[in-house]
Amino acid sequence: MHHLLDVLASGVHDTKNQLFFAESQIAEAEARHGIDLSEARYAIESASGRLSRTLAAYHLLRQDAALAVVPVVVDDLCSEVALDQRKHLAHTGIELEVNCSVRDEWPLDRDLMTDVLNNAVQNAGRHARKKVRLSAWSDGTTLYFRVEDDGEGYADPEGGRSTGLIVAERIASLHERKKRKGSMHLSNGGELGGAIFELCLP
Amino acid sequence: MTAVDYRQKRFLVIDDQPMARESLRAIAQTAGAFSVEFAPGYQDAIFKIRNNVPDIILCDYMLGDGRSGQQLLEELRRFNLLPDETIFMMVTGEQSYEQVVAAVELVPDDYIIKPFSPDKLIMRLERIAAKKQFFAAFYREKRKQEYAKALAILAATKDSDAGRNYRFESLRQEAEVHLAAGDAEKAEAAYRGILERYEFPWARAGVAKSLHRQNRLTEAREEIEKVVAGTPHYFDAADLKANICMAQGEHEEAQKVLDEVAKKTPRNYLRKRLLAEAAELNGDTETARAAMADVVANDTVAGAVTTEDQLTLARTHVGASDLISAEKVLLLMRESEVMNLDLAQQASFSALLAVASPGKGKPKFTGLRPALMASPLPTASRVDVLRAALSVDDRELADTQARQIMSGEDAKKVFGAVRKLYALQGREPDFREIQRQVAMQRIHHDETPAGGE
Repeated sequence: MHHLLDVLASGVHDTKNQLFFAESQIAEAEARHGIDLSEARYAIESASGRLSRTLAAYHLLRQDAALAVVPVVVDDLCSEVALDQRKHLAHTGIELEVNCSVRDEWPLDRDLMTDVLNNAVQNAGRHARKKVRLSAWSDGTTLYFRVEDDGEGYADPEGGRSTGLIVAERIASLHERKKRKGSMHLSNGGELGGAIFELCLP
Repeated sequence: MTAVDYRQKRFLVIDDQPMARESLRAIAQTAGAFSVEFAPGYQDAIFKIRNNVPDIILCDYMLGDGRSGQQLLEELRRFNLLPDETIFMMVTGEQSYEQVVAAVELVPDDYIIKPFSPDKLIMRLERIAAKKQFFAAFYREKRKQEYAKALAILAATKDSDAGRNYRFESLRQEAEVHLAAGDAEKAEAAYRGILERYEFPWARAGVAKSLHRQNRLTEAREEIEKVVAGTPHYFDAADLKANICMAQGEHEEAQKVLDEVAKKTPRNYLRKRLLAEAAELNGDTETARAAMADVVANDTVAGAVTTEDQLTLARTHVGASDLISAEKVLLLMRESEVMNLDLAQQASFSALLAVASPGKGKPKFTGLRPALMASPLPTASRVDVLRAALSVDDRELADTQARQIMSGEDAKKVFGAVRKLYALQGREPDFREIQRQVAMQRIHHDETPAGGE
């Protein structure tokens, strides 16, 4: 079984190297010719994110996923999601607002959480009319991430879930601290009136 | 944030794949870099860094040839080739490197997952620059081994507003400085403080290391077992466990642990040295010899193979009763090297040579006798002297060494080896008598038994 995983991981690895080559060539062309090909780069990074998520999902569904928890500056994490998504959303006429009031480091899996939030913001962007908001705050014992939009909202927040959401929920619940586990909540409403995706991490 | 002028910075890109190197060059130059150098592999990278330290190193995690960027990083730190000002950024294609970073003690300044844009690279580099700036004064004092001053700086800055971003790093640095300063109790407290907040494997390993330094071996073992069970890919924890096992006299377990991890990291020569030590103590002289021979032949970074290594190799040959090989190793050591040996090394050198080649070694060994009787020596040298003294039937010298060893901190570690040396001369009863005397002395002095709990 481990052999299969190695084959998959090595395939993903090689593919990402190829994608990185493509992105670096595009970035160089942009600089040289003073043009904006950020949508092409966005497509490359999204494809790569999708690959990572697929591999993560495979791990998670096999129940052999282990988190790699490091102290993370929450504000930095939010800035990176903004860097990854803001320009693309603006391209489609949607504003991404980021609100982070957490100043301290928080122990979490930086890469998986970045993926989860990128995915959530992407999803929100697909359904939003004009605005997506990513916010982060904490009450000292729990860290909250929320992604909300001004779209129609979830058809059924309690209903069936896409792979992305299943992965997000599993990743949240793998975050554990002093016997408390993380969780994911979906609802509708809020200040923007659309879908609300929320993660609570201990 | 500090705006960094990347045109002034010298980049070094380390990657064995031409296409990946090209990608990293393109990204770095788009980010503003003017000077980008390449190193296609491990040795070349070390050579370039040694000659002219770059400002920013972008190093792929997979370097080919059984080497990883993590190994390179460890090697650079081991030989002090990386100034604190240099940025070392690991570049990786998959998320599995995160598992390494989450566990190990020695981490790069940051790592970044491919593919990434020039903007993301800049964002990351600027954060690192800001962090290095925050800790700059602390690093300076730490490097000068001014530990009290370093700790004072941490205490003054860690609760500042800017320090909120680096709270865990501050705590970790505090613990490490306590360890470096030799205050294992305070280090333990600092690591436990981190664990209060989160169960980081490296912090738990830090507790184990601090307990080991306090010679609280049973507790240290309990703690490190938790880490090894929870994070099997955390090889430094396996090394620490092996060290603790050896201190407890459990050499078989130590060797087993190291055998396993050494297989996964065949080119980690510090670990090979440790394996040789464990195998030697475990009586597996062949493994010890093979590991040391590998170290001496293949740890190719200049200055990596030390006099100590040559002596250890000779010791493993003596242990395997291959006196010809032992003699060869000792006589191949350069005269200038032998001239500059300190007393402990002279003791080992002359003792091992006296055993391997009595004609050549005995005169020097006999000449050193007064110093060997009177001076403090590290345990390994004492065992060498003991072995030679037994072989030339100098009972007084042998028994003096045995007494010193058995009342020292390494008593449990080398107990089996010492007993075996006495047994080989048919003098086991004498060794038991020495043990008895040392034990009596302890009771009289009402001391905490050294090497005990």
